[in-house]
Amino acid sequence: MNIPIERGKVVTVARGQSTSVAGFSLSKGLGVVFRHWRRAWFEKQHQNVPATASESAPNAGNDKSKPTAFVTLEDMSKSYGTFTVEYPEQRIKLPEAYRNMPVLLYDDETGHELCTSCFQCQRICPPQVIHMTQAKDPASGKPVPSVAEFIIEYDACMSCGFCAEVCPFDAIKMDHEFELSTHDHPSLTVYKRDLNRPVSYYESIAPGFWAEARERAYKKLATNMKRRPGAIGIAPHLTEKITAAQAQAAQAAAAQAPAAKAPAKKAAAPRAADTAAAPTDKEAKLAAIRARNAAQKGGSAPAAGTAADAPLPTDKEAKLAAIRARNAAKKGGSTPAAETSAEESPPTDDKAARLAAIRARNAAKKGDATPSEESDQPAAETPPANDKAARLAAIRARNAAQKATEAAEQAADSATSTPEAPASSSEEGKPLDEKAARLAEIRARNAARKKGDQE
Amino acid sequence: MKAEGTMIKTEELQINIGPQHPSTHGVFRMLVTVDGETIVDLKPVFGYLHRNHEQIAEVNTYLQNMPYTDRLDYFNSMANNQAYAMAVEKLAEIEVPERAEYIRVIMVELTRILNHASALGFLINDMGAWQTPLAFGMREREKILDLFESTSGARLMCNYFRFGGVVRDLPPDFVPRLQSLLTGLPTFIDEFERMLRENEILRIRSEGIGVLPKEVAISYSVTGPVLRGSGIPYDIRKAEPYSIYDRFDFDVPIGTVGDVYDRFLVRIEEMRQSKRILEQALKQLPDAEGGHINPKARQNIRPPVGDAYTRIESPKGELGFYLVSDGGQTPYRYKVRAPSFINLTPLSDMCRGYKVADVVVILGSIDIVMGEVDR
Repeated sequence: MNIPIERGKVVTVARGQSTSVAGFSLSKGLGVVFRHWRRAWFEKQHQNVPATASESAPNAGNDKSKPTAFVTLEDMSKSYGTFTVEYPEQRIKLPEAYRNMPVLLYDDETGHELCTSCFQCQRICPPQVIHMTQAKDPASGKPVPSVAEFIIEYDACMSCGFCAEVCPFDAIKMDHEFELSTHDHPSLTVYKRDLNRPVSYYESIAPGFWAEARERAYKKLATNMKRRPGAIGIAPHLTEKITAAQAQAAQAAAAQAPAAKAPAKKAAAPRAADTAAAPTDKEAKLAAIRARNAAQKGGSAPAAGTAADAPLPTDKEAKLAAIRARNAAKKGGSTPAAETSAEESPPTDDKAARLAAIRARNAAKKGDATPSEESDQPAAETPPANDKAARLAAIRARNAAQKATEAAEQAADSATSTPEAPASSSEEGKPLDEKAARLAEIRARNAARKKGDQE
Repeated sequence: MKAEGTMIKTEELQINIGPQHPSTHGVFRMLVTVDGETIVDLKPVFGYLHRNHEQIAEVNTYLQNMPYTDRLDYFNSMANNQAYAMAVEKLAEIEVPERAEYIRVIMVELTRILNHASALGFLINDMGAWQTPLAFGMREREKILDLFESTSGARLMCNYFRFGGVVRDLPPDFVPRLQSLLTGLPTFIDEFERMLRENEILRIRSEGIGVLPKEVAISYSVTGPVLRGSGIPYDIRKAEPYSIYDRFDFDVPIGTVGDVYDRFLVRIEEMRQSKRILEQALKQLPDAEGGHINPKARQNIRPPVGDAYTRIESPKGELGFYLVSDGGQTPYRYKVRAPSFINLTPLSDMCRGYKVADVVVILGSIDIVMGEVDR
């Protein structure tokens, strides 16, 4: 057999002679073992175990609030012999690149998720365990660059890390958490609520990787946030907190515009129902009952019957409230704020009020199924007349005002009011209205162009 | 009875070793026909771990197959990745930057060391040296796995290679860590050899046991350390240098008899040669051009119609991937030439005439991984 070998040669391994004295080489081998035992005992190099290691509880792994004691072996190849890291109490620090299961990131400050549901990870996933649905704007029904639901089947995930590699928004990253064993098999199908991790968490486990991605990720997020109306795109467990923070800002703004402040501040759930019965007009009463029933069916209590007990002397105000309510309701189960306000309106405008009530009811029914309903429930359970409800109401009013421009055009047909109705809603509504109007214009133009293309 | 002589009349008996047996290195059954203690015939039965690997691969896209190749020979996921990546690169004509090639070679040679360290540990374990030599081998393996983990993110299922390079560059502390590992490596290899090579028990259990003659080895197309143990200097890194193996000086160790003892010695020597390659690669790495991946290489590829076969010298032998493309996103045909599977076929020839206890040792010396045998 002639195989030419360049740069190197063929070496025949020497078999050697067996020793004549039986047991000699056996004890030689045992000598090696003994030397190792001695060195492992006396020349250990991993003495730098932090003092907290002994203090930490045995279930330190499960208790995430406690800092975990890491064993840092500066150079493993220098430590002699085999040694044991006493695992639950001591841990070896995981390298930055370590990957276990994918998680989703959201921004700490704004609460916005980085994911835009571009379906890249779903497509590349080799065992096909990623599933997602895109969020839709409840008002227009158009897709929004945000994810409505995101499911990963952890039990079938093979931790290949392709999803994190392919994600153009740096929204999905590989977690370092590996203690996932459970008796509860269905819990390994993980939903968005449990997949969400703050960016600061990822930064803590992989600072180098995030430093690379940071700028790119935030730039893209800022663009996407502009296209997300309302609370869409905010991590579910943060929606309440973030909206409350926004509401505070809104309140501060509203303080400068007392006219708009009044309805927002006097929000109270039960009173809304009480006052709803008050209207004298037959039609309005009927509408009120219908609206109340719808609200009850909807499951979301009319926590923010904003305009319920507010003085609404003019048609203008009533109609405005109705529009706001409808829009708010459309936005996914957020309570029919002005259903009750419509009933308050004077009989002269009963047609519009009835219309608004029906619309609000329909929207509320539809809104049941929308995902942001969850975020409303806590608000509904809260006792009336507290700050939270007030703040929530303020946000809703503001959100409704954002949409008011579009609705104003429709309302103008059946109303005697002037087109500047939205302007009276609030000070801060103004610039947003302009924006919305511009957006509508652009959309209309695009739609027209599309039509032209098709023809 | 006495008329038949002093020999006790014995009957041939068929017994099963496995499929669930600690010495079968996985789910593997041997249907052994014995006459007393002597093996008359042996029939290897496998397929218990069959998981439709090749069929699945024809449904997946080219990139999606990469993590599946990790699961073939789960000791050497880096080598599997390289063979597959090379096949796709040949099919789609993707160029690999120089630096990426060096990173690949470093990873695969580390894989060879860890495979041999643990394979020898298991072989000694099969002979009855309970745990201590295995623990020594495993300790060395752990150090290498730590390097893999810091680079690729996983210890075993590395999924590190991509078409046109590797997924990410080496972490900054990789080279110093590898260097310190290499300084400690000769101590380990020398000690391991000193501890065992002259050991009387090991010699009795392995010398002249499981002899695989040259001709038989060639006719079964056995490759890797088993073939070299039989005295044939066939190493694909030399016979058909792929990647950048023509740039390194290293020797090809061969045995003379072809028994278990020769395979043991060949593996020890191969670890030394791998260490030589690693040292040269580390020296040449800073001068290598290009990044860790070809920036033009697309991962979601549709190779032109055609087929490609590439093979590498994996730690267990010739690992080949045969791919046929019909121009689509998924391979039309995907075939793995698994060294473990082919090295296992002459098992009955190697075992015939030896004792039942030797079967376990012979099987251990072939160094099989059932994930690769069954696919």
